[in-house]
Amino acid sequence: MKRLLASIVFMAVTPLATAATQLHLFNWNDYIAQDTVAAFEKSCNCQLVQDYYSSTEEMMAKLLAGASGYDVVVPTQNAVQALIKQKFLLSLDKNQLPNFKNSDPGFLNRSYDPANTYSVPYAFTTTLVGYNEQQLAKLGISPDDWSVIFDPKVLEKLKGKVTVMDDAEELFGAALKYLGYSVNDRDEKHLREAQQVIMAAKPYWAAFNSSSYIKELTVGNIWVAHGYSSDMVQARADADAADRDFNVNFVLPKQGAVLALDNMVIPKDAKNKKLAHQFINFMLDGKNAAALTNEIGAGNPNAAAAEFIDATIKQQKAIFPDAATLATLETIEASDAKQRRLLNKLWTEIKIK
Amino acid sequence: MQTKHWQQRLLTLPPMSYLLIFFAVPTVIMLFASFRYAGEYGGLAPWYSYEEGKLAFDLTLENWQRLFETDIYLRLFAKSIGYAVLTTLLCILLGYPLALMIARSPRKHRDLLLLLVILPFWSNFLVRIYAWMIIFSPSGALTHMINSLLDIFGLAPISLMYSPTAVIVCLVYVHLPFMVLPLYANLEKHDPALLDAAQDLGATRWRRFWKITWPISLPGVYAGSILVFIPVLGMFAIPDLLGGTDGIMIANVIKQQFVESRDWPFGSVLSMVLTVAAVLAVLLGAKFGQQAGQTR
Amino acid sequence: MSQKNRALKLSALAVYAFLYLPLLIVVIYSFNDSKLNAEWVGFTFKWYDKLFHNREMLTAAGNSLIIATSSAMIATVLGTLAGMAMYKYRLKVLPGLVLAPIAMPDILMGVSLLLFFIMLNMSLGLISITLAHITFCIGFVALSVQARMSSIDRSLTEAARDLGATPWQCFRKITLPLLAPGIIAGALMAFTLSIDDFVITFFVAGVGSSTLPLQIYSMVKIAVTPEVNAISTLLMLLTLILITLVARLSPGALRS
Repeated sequence: MKRLLASIVFMAVTPLATAATQLHLFNWNDYIAQDTVAAFEKSCNCQLVQDYYSSTEEMMAKLLAGASGYDVVVPTQNAVQALIKQKFLLSLDKNQLPNFKNSDPGFLNRSYDPANTYSVPYAFTTTLVGYNEQQLAKLGISPDDWSVIFDPKVLEKLKGKVTVMDDAEELFGAALKYLGYSVNDRDEKHLREAQQVIMAAKPYWAAFNSSSYIKELTVGNIWVAHGYSSDMVQARADADAADRDFNVNFVLPKQGAVLALDNMVIPKDAKNKKLAHQFINFMLDGKNAAALTNEIGAGNPNAAAAEFIDATIKQQKAIFPDAATLATLETIEASDAKQRRLLNKLWTEIKIK
Repeated sequence: MQTKHWQQRLLTLPPMSYLLIFFAVPTVIMLFASFRYAGEYGGLAPWYSYEEGKLAFDLTLENWQRLFETDIYLRLFAKSIGYAVLTTLLCILLGYPLALMIARSPRKHRDLLLLLVILPFWSNFLVRIYAWMIIFSPSGALTHMINSLLDIFGLAPISLMYSPTAVIVCLVYVHLPFMVLPLYANLEKHDPALLDAAQDLGATRWRRFWKITWPISLPGVYAGSILVFIPVLGMFAIPDLLGGTDGIMIANVIKQQFVESRDWPFGSVLSMVLTVAAVLAVLLGAKFGQQAGQTR
Repeated sequence: MSQKNRALKLSALAVYAFLYLPLLIVVIYSFNDSKLNAEWVGFTFKWYDKLFHNREMLTAAGNSLIIATSSAMIATVLGTLAGMAMYKYRLKVLPGLVLAPIAMPDILMGVSLLLFFIMLNMSLGLISITLAHITFCIGFVALSVQARMSSIDRSLTEAARDLGATPWQCFRKITLPLLAPGIIAGALMAFTLSIDDFVITFFVAGVGSSTLPLQIYSMVKIAVTPEVNAISTLLMLLTLILITLVARLSPGALRS
């Protein structure tokens, strides 16, 4: 028995003893290419340890619950703003980021971080509708309209085959767009209207789901999913690879949608600040940034990446919106405590009823 | 006598202080948090301020008022309790015959049969949920089978995944051993002579069961019920993974307040209500168990 | 009589099937050569191979072992003391404190400990998880030890005292050896509970302290590959081996 215990203790301690320098990255799930991870680890002779989140709220809650020790986090623009206000972020040392010059100026100096003191653009996605081409064609439903998710008349034919994001800001954003408002409309009356729309559609949905809709679409369990463009690219590729008898596709609804610009930031209490800068600089390299588009399907705010990006992906408006499409997209702005509390209250009510 | 006192302290103090610090104090902190304001970005706002030499307290009843503002939270509690009761009843229905069979099989087989009940319980809890996710999946074998059966009778196909049914089945699956073990422990002690005597007196099988076995086994039934009811009431993983839009329970909303909405005070309010519900369930179960134990 | 027995046996058999079929499905799909736990494609070991190269999973397994070992050890010491005290003295507070964490739903302990650690400004990680695990393990050890105490013949210790043994000698030479099966059973239970815990860990885990159950949860939630099936199968195998081992070492331990 003693020997057994001793060997257990030994086994438990070994991974500690062999641990190299580690970079703790807190990232969206499925938001970095495997090859990029391996390449970075090779270049820095360190380990990249990732934790994942599937919504901004989840990330903020974890960080604010005292999760200290992450070296790099990848928040969306409105979260960057909130984190700056809380003095949570380290001001970046641009001398350590020679590749910063690669960033597309169109994505720099935005209002959430006017001089990019704290953040550097990583990638962007749109929140849109992913769908099963064959099934929707059979039913004669066109997916380029938010009604495919919110209109009970359309949903009758899709009962139990739709998932929406488990994310208050994203789902309310879509519902507000469906109603013709701005995604940032925080007027209580309009929010309550959006709540009514969501409640009316809820019985037809299979689930609130922000993480496994890629798989559900690929297997064919779900025919319509509200989710991120990059995930839909994955779902389409997976379905093709698995030789399914249907195709997964995606489209931006014509009423407009949410555009999310994700950024790399370093928390003030990061353990390994130098390595964190090194990682950001690595990701700003044109080739490495391009992998985010080619492998993950995210939009790219890196000018140097342009030449490495697959031409077929570049043409897709849902990933690289043209000027006309861009006019219909909105980014979510940071809301104050009162607005956030109202939204959370309405959201909790939706979940319960 | 002096040494005895000293001994008692030596034995009692270390575990007691540990549990006081890491169980009692956090519970009190939670109660206190339910009267505080949420911080602007999450967490808790300071509960006192010191201005111009004056101490002011920033505490509120607002979070508790929110609980009673609408009936949705109370309805949610009712629904969660309903799920827990249904799960408990189903566990009795499935667990009782099993426990009885084990208690009445030859002594040398009993340990093995019992071990077979516990064994799945030793595999990780999430793995057991995951198993049902595969089974309930619309592309899974079970759904296929049921739907082809329904198709023969011309009925519309059903979906099991993401439904309250899926949640209940999985809840029963995960908690069944908690029911079987105390039931078996009770049934094993029954004196077979009682049943033989009743049979000699001409009592039918059903009569023998309802008049003898069942009443004597009631303490076991109550013990098992508490062991099933309480964890089910606090469950969030199963509704989270299998529940879809409709199968949410109280613990999911608590979890939501803490890890998504960042409204810790309201999360604390809901947690306190759950605490009270659990304590009541324990007391009630203990009382019934005692009564059943006395009447036999 | 035999007719009833048959009905009883049949229904019991059905319940056993209910208990085992789902796990069997998990095992079968762990060998399926397809990413999507749907139809059967072909036999493969590749998910196991992938698993052994999945560093995050291995780190999590390492974390789980560290946490389970240390919390089981500390909980065993504290729980043994509590169990002995509860048997020896008529106490008011301790039994309630020992039983309450067992009786309360896990989520409550999770969130209240989260509030507690944050209030103390403690950063969440392996230490906070271990402290939390000890809290819920103490009760199980205490109950196991208490049950064993009541089966020890008191006259043995009394005789030893009469022969002039000090209380410590008496404890060391008589009580402890007799208690050992109860302590070992309690320690094993604590180890298993700790390595299996998801709910409490979910709330008090921090950066880089992911445990096996947390890792499985995020895999199940994101639902990517049958690697989950592979790790599940391995875990079941491990438990089976552990149980057989325990059954060999101390046949009585499992019964309590």
